Amino acid sequence: MKSTLKAAFLVLAFTGISSWAHAQRDYQSYAQLTSRLQKLSARYSKLASLTTIGKTATGKEIWLLTLGRDNAANKPALVIAAGLEGTQLATTELALQMAEQMLQGAVLQDSVRELLQQKTFYILPNLNPDASEQYHEKLRWERLGNAQPVDDDRDGRMFEDPFEDLNKDGLITLMRVKSPSGTHKPSEEDPRVMVKADVGKGEQGEYLLLTEGIDNDKDGKWNEDPEGGVQFNRNFTFDYPYFTEGAGEHPMSERETKAFADFMFDASNVYAVFLFGPANTLSEPLRFNKDKVGTRIITGPLEKDAAVNEQVSKLYNRTTLLKNGPKVDPSPGDVLQWAYFHYGRYSFSTPGWWTPLVPVASESSDGAAPLAPSAHEDVNFLRWAEANDVVGTFVNWKAIKNPDFPGQEVEVGGLAPYVKNTPPVRMLEPIAQKHFRFFSAFAKAMPSLQIVNISAEKAPGGNTRITAEVYNQGSLPTHSELGDRSRWVQKVQVTLHTNDNQKILSGNKIQLSNAVAGGEKFQVSWLVNGKGYVTVTASSPTAGKQTKEIYLR
Amino acid sequence: MKKRLSACALLLIGWLGTGENNVQAQTPEQVFNAAGPPQNPKVPISWNRYYDYAGITEICAKLAKAYPDLVKLETIGDSYQGKRIWALTISDFNTGDPFRKPAMYLDGNVISNELQGSEFALYTAWYLVENFQDNAFIRELLQQKTFYILPTINPDARDNIMHRINSANATRAGMIPLDDDSDGLVDEDQPDDLNKDGHITFMRRKSAKGRYVVDPQNPLRLIPAKAGQSGEYELLGYEGLDADGDGRMNEDPPGYYDPSRDWAWNWQPDYIQHGALKYPFSVPENRAVKDFVLRHPNIAGAQSYHSNGGMGLESLDAVEEGNTENQGHNQVNDLLKRYAEQVIPGYTYQLVYKDLDSAFGGKLNWLHHARGIFTFSNELMSPYLQVDRQKTKDPEQEAGPVDVNYMPPFQDAYVEWVPFEHPTYGNIEIGGFKKNFPQAHPGDLLQEDAHRNMVFTLYQAYQLPQLEIREVLTRKLSNGLTEITATVANTRILPTHSGQDLKHKIERPDYISLKDSTVVAGMVLHNPDQQPGREQKLNLARLEIPNIPGLGFIKVRWVVLANKPNLVVEVDSRKGGVVRRAF
Repeated sequence: MKSTLKAAFLVLAFTGISSWAHAQRDYQSYAQLTSRLQKLSARYSKLASLTTIGKTATGKEIWLLTLGRDNAANKPALVIAAGLEGTQLATTELALQMAEQMLQGAVLQDSVRELLQQKTFYILPNLNPDASEQYHEKLRWERLGNAQPVDDDRDGRMFEDPFEDLNKDGLITLMRVKSPSGTHKPSEEDPRVMVKADVGKGEQGEYLLLTEGIDNDKDGKWNEDPEGGVQFNRNFTFDYPYFTEGAGEHPMSERETKAFADFMFDASNVYAVFLFGPANTLSEPLRFNKDKVGTRIITGPLEKDAAVNEQVSKLYNRTTLLKNGPKVDPSPGDVLQWAYFHYGRYSFSTPGWWTPLVPVASESSDGAAPLAPSAHEDVNFLRWAEANDVVGTFVNWKAIKNPDFPGQEVEVGGLAPYVKNTPPVRMLEPIAQKHFRFFSAFAKAMPSLQIVNISAEKAPGGNTRITAEVYNQGSLPTHSELGDRSRWVQKVQVTLHTNDNQKILSGNKIQLSNAVAGGEKFQVSWLVNGKGYVTVTASSPTAGKQTKEIYLR
Repeated sequence: MKKRLSACALLLIGWLGTGENNVQAQTPEQVFNAAGPPQNPKVPISWNRYYDYAGITEICAKLAKAYPDLVKLETIGDSYQGKRIWALTISDFNTGDPFRKPAMYLDGNVISNELQGSEFALYTAWYLVENFQDNAFIRELLQQKTFYILPTINPDARDNIMHRINSANATRAGMIPLDDDSDGLVDEDQPDDLNKDGHITFMRRKSAKGRYVVDPQNPLRLIPAKAGQSGEYELLGYEGLDADGDGRMNEDPPGYYDPSRDWAWNWQPDYIQHGALKYPFSVPENRAVKDFVLRHPNIAGAQSYHSNGGMGLESLDAVEEGNTENQGHNQVNDLLKRYAEQVIPGYTYQLVYKDLDSAFGGKLNWLHHARGIFTFSNELMSPYLQVDRQKTKDPEQEAGPVDVNYMPPFQDAYVEWVPFEHPTYGNIEIGGFKKNFPQAHPGDLLQEDAHRNMVFTLYQAYQLPQLEIREVLTRKLSNGLTEITATVANTRILPTHSGQDLKHKIERPDYISLKDSTVVAGMVLHNPDQQPGREQKLNLARLEIPNIPGLGFIKVRWVVLANKPNLVVEVDSRKGGVVRRAF
């Protein structure tokens, strides 16, 4: 309530932007999200539980909402994580709306209830709350770092070059300086958008493009050391970007990343990890590349895992019907690659929401040629915003004085912070539904171990030979091919339980198997001396468990 | 230098032979002092045996109590099983804040079964404080520098090895229970003392396929059959059973993880780097050490005492990393290693990534690459000590303990082979090395090697940066301005910033300040004749210097609006200390 009031005051303070500021701030603060999660888990207490995996530097909880709470740790699980980047508020909202839809669905529909009985969903809606909270602060700028103080430019001074709100609109945007040695020029498609001048094509830059502020430490760089922090999605062990801004002192140095990893390593039942984050490996899968797996350190998916990514990507496109997904590769130190390469699980990422292409009208009213999509993302974004009445996305360029450029023409303006990652919340509901549909379909495709064709045959010497087949009834493998190499992925295990009067003559009591593909099976056998019942158990934390008894005569 | 030291080492052995300190059969008057060791130590300690965690704790506490002006004992965190990890800060507390002096970091026993690192580290601490009074070199060293000594950073497994029935190679790991074979069970198939003799030794079986024969010089030892010679025995690993019935023997012992594959430089998971745990610093002991190192940016040099091999490993890393060093760095290392070769016989300088198995996530790599600290790993128990005391050039001779002919006195380190009926293997024999050999020094070599390694540690500590403000020259300019030129020298080998540090701006620059409020210009002179040099635009009185090179100097200049400026200059370097001088 308090923060709503605060927001309202802000709206009043910046009258020039009041109309959109209100519309934009329908994203929730940490306090609001917390109360929403608490209410949700209280309301559906039989289906969901709310716990925390750790605290941030400012004491905020990193919430974990577990759906399918009965026996959650012993069922195959999916992790759905969002808010990996402090600016992607829509991902948090998406994850939450989806959780809400699933819980409502479980009350109304048998199929959803069954889904939550068979599978566990670990939903982490916001992994970097200290960064995302900047959206609700008095000065709004796109903060990626957490609240761990870091000397970003490693010069021995902390936070010595922050942003300054030179045009006093409460937003940090860009700053352009008219200069003959400029690198940027206005786009021809939308002159508000600054684009890089292509010197190769004989284009001439007109402006230097910087972020809004002053070079406080006179090092020739603008705003390179603002407040905060380490970026969640740059602090993981795979391809860790040492000595770069936001990466931290070392991989897994942060409370948030360590808490996340510790939770994951404890959860041996996690089958796959889905990230609502910047990278997109669901619209288009990551492809197999022989050169990337032939070295000691592998940097691309193994062949079978790439095939699974393709299968899952098809499922995603078929169930969500989302089009024109942006191509965004994994990035150094991100969660996506960590979850696959170092945690050994299938790992996928989608931004969830992206700027839809403005449909090209077959014939525009004034007879002008229809517009082709621009090569510049910002231009497309502004066209979409205009077509959908999303206001307040752009701060018009306005001249200001900057002591760093005495006598020069300096203007402040550009896309308002966060706008590309915060569509009006109402637009997210259908997207959440589509993803819910995808996750339901994915859960159905997940592996399921069955013991089939179990038999006991007489063998010479009064012994019995027990044979059985262990079958994966799902259409996805029991675990990743990389999981076969990882110590953190439990293998498929078949155990023969005997009593004291029975003796296993040949065949190991415990038999382990590497990943079993969907629809595949393998055979196990034992030679046993003795009579009575024995039990065979096939199990894997990620593919379920079945036990069968057989009588030895 | 070399002669004197080896003579001193020989004398030490003699001194050791004169009896146990705690027996005190002799009064100080009865003793003719050998050169080197403390004349009359306040804390008598025998250095020919090993101490468990409680023993180490007691020695640390005694040193801190006996020398409150030289030793501070603190705990840096808890081990997995809740033992406190100790750190000794050793410096002359009466000559400045130890936190602001250039510091040398020293630890032992990162790998659990490499026990002697702890005794060596403690010996160093003991030697420093017990000699402070009588030895001018040590006194000056502790006035100028600080030592951070962590005798064991792996106390759980240390005690496990010493007090539980174990083999020599019991574990490199700590005691976190782990599922090593991915079957969901934890530590369910461990080595067992099958013949109940109190030792985990080896299983051997006579076999035509065997690749081993009995050592003609030692009937209790097996050695590999030579080419063309037929083997007599096969080795079946450590004593044990297939406890979980999965067809494999002892495949899930306590651990397994390797604490020296847990550091945050080029870390790789277990399927690439065997022994890696979950992520860098997922071993709680290492995390505590890491936090300690980050809290002490004055650490400019580091050594880590490992056992066995006798090599000072200046760490570079896995081949994938490549060599990122610059020329200056290599020169520094050359000087240090040449010295090490003089004092530690058999010491050969090797690059980890070139000469040993390339490994990921090592501690040296982290200290060196991520923190820019000049780091050596001292592999103790050099083959030199074990063979014939001649430096060998034959790489075969240095291949490792298995090929070494050193005979522990009267077979003390071996267990006789005895027959055993094994449920899986049938008729076998059990016997061989005990846990105190060959990883651990026999008692007679312990103090000698501790001393030699300490000498190298002290040498590196001596060579940490030592800053001096040499001279300040003033010159009157027009309009009431005065020009002030100061020279700051570093009189030792190590620079204030390593090449790696400079490349990645790991530590902040050094500051040279003029304590005058009228500074109007400040600059660093690249050479004395070059004017005006590199200008600084902000904080003119406090100039920022990227590095003060070893055995080199820096010249800086200010212009002040004063006729009689306040000629007080201060140098403030994280790794080079703080010096202030008035002219």
